[in-house]
Amino acid sequence: MVALARKTLIYEWRRFLPAVLAVGFAGLLQLLQAALVLGIFGGAAVYITGSNADLWIGYPGTQSVDQGRSISPDVATLLQMNPHVTRVEPFLWVDGDWRAGGTGGVSVFVSGIDPDVHGLMFSHALSPQLRERLRTPDAVIVDRADLDKLGVQIGGTASINGHRVRVVGVANGLRALGGVNVVASLDTARHLDADPGDQGRPTYLLAKLRDPGMSAQVAASLRGHSGFGPYQVWTAHAFARRSMLYWLFDTGAGAGVLFLACIVFIVGAVITSQALVAAVVGSIREYATLNALGVGVHALRRVVLEQALWVGVLGLAGATVLGSVLIVLARNQDVPVVLNLAVTLACVLLILALALVSGLASMRSLRRADPATLLR
Amino acid sequence: MNMNDATGSLVAERVSKSFVSGKLRTVVLNGLSLRVEPGELTLISGPSGCGKSTLLSVLSGLQDIDDGVVHALGQRLDTLDKHALERFRLRHTGFVFQGFNLFPALTAFEQVALPLDYMGLSRQEVRTRAEAALSEVGMSPCMHLRPIELSGGEKQRVAIARALAKQPDLLFADEPTSALDAANGQMVIEMLHRIARRHGTTVLCVSHDPRLIGHADRLLAMEDGRILEDRRSAPDPHPSFPTRVGE
Repeated sequence: MVALARKTLIYEWRRFLPAVLAVGFAGLLQLLQAALVLGIFGGAAVYITGSNADLWIGYPGTQSVDQGRSISPDVATLLQMNPHVTRVEPFLWVDGDWRAGGTGGVSVFVSGIDPDVHGLMFSHALSPQLRERLRTPDAVIVDRADLDKLGVQIGGTASINGHRVRVVGVANGLRALGGVNVVASLDTARHLDADPGDQGRPTYLLAKLRDPGMSAQVAASLRGHSGFGPYQVWTAHAFARRSMLYWLFDTGAGAGVLFLACIVFIVGAVITSQALVAAVVGSIREYATLNALGVGVHALRRVVLEQALWVGVLGLAGATVLGSVLIVLARNQDVPVVLNLAVTLACVLLILALALVSGLASMRSLRRADPATLLR
Repeated sequence: MNMNDATGSLVAERVSKSFVSGKLRTVVLNGLSLRVEPGELTLISGPSGCGKSTLLSVLSGLQDIDDGVVHALGQRLDTLDKHALERFRLRHTGFVFQGFNLFPALTAFEQVALPLDYMGLSRQEVRTRAEAALSEVGMSPCMHLRPIELSGGEKQRVAIARALAKQPDLLFADEPTSALDAANGQMVIEMLHRIARRHGTTVLCVSHDPRLIGHADRLLAMEDGRILEDRRSAPDPHPSFPTRVGE
């Protein structure tokens, strides 16, 4: 079978270039938008995704990790009694008001963590050496990208809720959504906590399991015990997802993202289909000749559709290359971009759908392939 | 191959066709009747707008008619739907147009093979037929060239090979020489003539090119949607068909 669609696409590439570019840029926009959304709103779950815990225990109904309320430290006993649990660690969340020279007030979230070398909290972001530095009273660590916002340098001092703190180090991967994340030891955090109701009670308890694959079963077995006050158990994965979705939809950003995705899709499809129409019309006499020779309109439509799909594949390839470069560039500049397999696949399918829709739309121009018009 | 039976070929009976443009209705074919015989080159000539191309499109199943009956190879065309007409054209007809209408991306061989692919022929059969057709029009050496590398005459020969490879019973040519110089025009019309003789194909050619008249077996002169003159320039090889001139 003569590969008419492919050969025409290669030989007349200039004619198809606008369509490929339209698909490519639409794909790039979708991909980067998805990566930014995942990156920014994934920041809501940085406490969970940056830590090594398998289970999170917090106040019942907590919608996002930053919305936690203190729970009874007795729940730790329940965890320690479970044979699957190898380590239990409290996590204290304190809302703080940061003051440093010339920056005014900055709203910060103080994370009180166990500075132990084997500590679960922020195990991905903090090296054992950095954790060790937190043992110094009033020592805090911030994200490198937040230094300017906080108006300090390493070794500088500031005050949180009126208490003096010293920045003993910086790390990457601590950036939070909606405020600046400041990491301190549990003792320092308790010291900074202005809420007398908390009385040093943990906001969350983190548990490490012998077998992380058992998370769901162990979480289920830990639920429903009375006598420890109100608490709820989530797997780390579920709690991270819950936090991210809360931010995505509570802030209206989710609707915004979907709206933008629709706009990109429509604009991409309109431009692509117009470019494909131009390509079809450019060969309309040849198509009409084929039809005169008895090649059915359906067969001609398949040729156009195949071209559209190739355009989609080529645009997608371009978007992937350019998108990868941009994502690496963004990461180097501390721009929060993250892509996961499911979202990437969704973007790929969306772009192929865009090409398909454009192909279907451009098929209409084959109506002009009337062989009677070839006679004069 | 393609030898039609005595009743075959093309028959038009009291065919009328008009076009409406705004409030103006133009009658292009006016109750025209005609028989076209197999194995010969029939040339329809006449001034611009006389209806000769419309007659060709009606007889080849490219256009429907307002009134009358069209038979091709013993089958009524005017009652067939679009898809049935496409199937009929795929099986039985070849076309050569004034513009060569070759796909710029395809080589001469691929231009010829493409319609054959759609006929459901085997790969080997497609190759054999395409090579034979290109050889018959003297284009074997240029089989792997694209249209941009071919002269006008060569392009038209590829277009003829594309029609010929289908081994059609009916071959329609619309002004096949008007984009060509004298020598190439001469070669093309001779080729069409030879195809009619050698394969028994019904070749119906529309042209206002006076150079072609000497090469036609039969000449139909048209004017105002009617056939004014029906003349044979050579002894008739099929004397059994009475020909009715425009009623």
